[in-house]
Amino acid sequence: MGNKKISIGKYASQFSYILVFIAIFIIFVITSNGLSVNGVMNIFRHSTVIGIIGLGMGLVCLTGEIDLSVGSMLALVSGISVIVFNTTGSILLTFLCAVVFGMILGFINGFLVGKVKMPAFIVTLATMLIFRSLAQWICKQVPKELIGGGSSVYRMSNGSDAYQSMYNFGNGEFLSFPIVGIVLLVITAIFVFVTTSTKYGKQIYAVGSNDKAAHMAGISVPNVKISAFVISGLMVGIASFIWIAMNASSDPATTGASNEMYAIAAVVLGGISMSGGKGKCLGVLFGAMSYTVIDKIIVALKMDSLINNTIKGAILIIVIFIQCASPQIKAYFSAKRRKKS
Amino acid sequence: MEKLLEMQHISKSFDANQVLHDVQLTVGKGEVHALLGENGAGKSTLMNILTGVHTKDTGTIAFDGNVLENITIKSSENAGIAFVHQELNLFNDLRVFENIFLCKEITKFGKLCKKEMIAQSAQLFDKLGVNIDPNELVANLKTSQKQLLEISKALFFKAKLLILDEPTTALNNDEVKHLFDIINNLKSEGTSFIFISHKMPEIFEISDRYTVFRNGHYIGEGLIRETSPEQITKMMVGEKYSTEDVYKVRKYGETVLELKNFSGEGFSDINLSVKKGQVIGVTGLQGSGSSELLSCLFGETNATGGEMKLFGKTIKNLTIHKAMKAKIGLLAANRKENSVIQDMNLLENMYISEHTLSSKQQIIFGKKEMKKYLSLKDKLKVKAQNPTDSILSLSGGNQQKIFIARWLNTQADLLLFDNPTQGIDVGAKAEIYKLILELAAQGKTIIINTLEIPELQKVADECNVFYNGKIIKTLSHSEIDEKTVMMYSTNAVNATKAG
Repeated sequence: MGNKKISIGKYASQFSYILVFIAIFIIFVITSNGLSVNGVMNIFRHSTVIGIIGLGMGLVCLTGEIDLSVGSMLALVSGISVIVFNTTGSILLTFLCAVVFGMILGFINGFLVGKVKMPAFIVTLATMLIFRSLAQWICKQVPKELIGGGSSVYRMSNGSDAYQSMYNFGNGEFLSFPIVGIVLLVITAIFVFVTTSTKYGKQIYAVGSNDKAAHMAGISVPNVKISAFVISGLMVGIASFIWIAMNASSDPATTGASNEMYAIAAVVLGGISMSGGKGKCLGVLFGAMSYTVIDKIIVALKMDSLINNTIKGAILIIVIFIQCASPQIKAYFSAKRRKKS
Repeated sequence: MEKLLEMQHISKSFDANQVLHDVQLTVGKGEVHALLGENGAGKSTLMNILTGVHTKDTGTIAFDGNVLENITIKSSENAGIAFVHQELNLFNDLRVFENIFLCKEITKFGKLCKKEMIAQSAQLFDKLGVNIDPNELVANLKTSQKQLLEISKALFFKAKLLILDEPTTALNNDEVKHLFDIINNLKSEGTSFIFISHKMPEIFEISDRYTVFRNGHYIGEGLIRETSPEQITKMMVGEKYSTEDVYKVRKYGETVLELKNFSGEGFSDINLSVKKGQVIGVTGLQGSGSSELLSCLFGETNATGGEMKLFGKTIKNLTIHKAMKAKIGLLAANRKENSVIQDMNLLENMYISEHTLSSKQQIIFGKKEMKKYLSLKDKLKVKAQNPTDSILSLSGGNQQKIFIARWLNTQADLLLFDNPTQGIDVGAKAEIYKLILELAAQGKTIIINTLEIPELQKVADECNVFYNGKIIKTLSHSEIDEKTVMMYSTNAVNATKAG
């Protein structure tokens, strides 16, 4: 009996992100007066961009580093992708541009962090500023027709078949399931597989756990770190493509703003340790979805959307508080119980 | 004997796990008391209870005539108990005097009186005969100086009882002697010591009385002069201890490793030839180059000159990955820092290295890895429950076996063991050395660096003594003994000759 109790407790702490999600989800169901298929599907739809970015962030965090530049990178990559779409009209080229450009930007971060051994916080803080500024500057500099005629927003020129296909991809459904949501689930599945069942995945954990020991075990620590940042860039590239497919435009001033913070919050809520080496990628999916559900709750309660971040921040603190304090509380009570007996 | 400390009927459990069963410890005034036992015997737990880190479940503690209840770290300090930890608790970025006076600064109207503190520190060092500049940054001190600083710090605030947890690990022989002089001086002034160490010669040199624990139980106590190392070892390990000589003369194969005028960071002009199946010892004081040589052979540091031939092939620009491909494995010193991947389980800790060699095939097949793990676990007799247990759940000796398994798993033929028995208890040490001989008999070639000469005596076919980065003497198996090795490693031989 006692044994079983321990294993359930262990299970619960390991999958706390699911419990958090369920709790938030129940509140959502209550506040929105019942559940609609559409409502649930919207959760997937609106979790996609943050979820995909968060997965890349999760990988970087597992190596013990951090990537603050992802939000700005989303603005820059999606802007450039819009320009490519408007000039070529090719979906394939737009997609390739998004992922390759994202990977290049990720490589810059990764090289400076992994090879030059600069602190990731500083490097990605700097590239965060650079990417955002470039996105806004380029938007002003390029001929108007490249950004869809607007003044300060990258807008996809509509009317073509390609535009329609993009739109269908971004907003369409497959068996009443949002297509972008399927992309999120597939990418999550790939991440879960890579981190649990491949040698590369184990190296990510090893580097984040103890980089000196990983080095002595023959792992190339710089390469693993660079690769994590490149994958983070790749995810931003995919997210950028999905973003413009969903919105048909990208505003360099606001697109992806604070996304790095939401991504980090999703990663932490998902149980990945910021010091590296611990946590599961599956948690990121639930972390990202939890945040989307909070948005929905606020809409359902007709609350001012400005209170949004207060609630998100508070939930983050509560969850981490429980995680950090529960071992101490447990120890306190078990000591008390023993003294009595 | 006047009693200073009396701990009686102490029990302590962590969750369901009882680590102390009704143990006792009595320390007299002005005595050095050796607290003995294998790792996990409960010594540290008892000391942590005494210093307020843990709380006891039952039992009484009397110190200097007072009964101590609800001990906190602060109150034990105030009572005059100082714990000099094995991991040094110093602040590297602060100066020496700032470390001594931390939280006890001398101030005048809220302003620090630095001059006063520096003067008092200097006075203390003078009295103890310690050569440390109070103004130096702690980061710039040698490890041995840090150790002495820790002790001085405790003494500064008039500790009546000092707990020294393996204080000599980082010290060379002269420094140990110096430390013992200090201890003897203080002892004559009435200060008491609890001395925790795994090194028998030191225990017998410095201690007056001893208490032995085994598996959380009190086994016995007595006067050091009325016992012998064998007797104490038997008390510590119980039935499993045996003094049998494990060394056997073996036949060696072809030459595996040949070094000619090999030089690198910390050593130079090394000439060494190692044959298949040999166990070669290298030894020397810290910084003498023996450990540095192993790092370089594994590609962790770059060679700067000379030639390295492995299986007849000249090797250049070695990196760790290349070394592993060439079938070299290094069991690094400082297990916690260089080997333990703490967030990974036993299985993962074992296979992680092999995976960097077989990275073309990326997918991990659980069953195949498990089979390899189980066979290595049997071969090395690792005491572990579940392959998915945390590496931190194992004792030091079993952890070390997992890391040996890591290199056997990469099929390494040349195994470099750097201080393999560091922080491992007596029983596990013997097992590791038996294992080394077994591996050699199976055709592995082994170079082992250690400062513990009795261990080299047990296993090494040959011992190369390093001094100042060079091999100063090569001793054959029968010539290895503690005194000879020390003579060469301190270069006392040449000093006498010259004189």
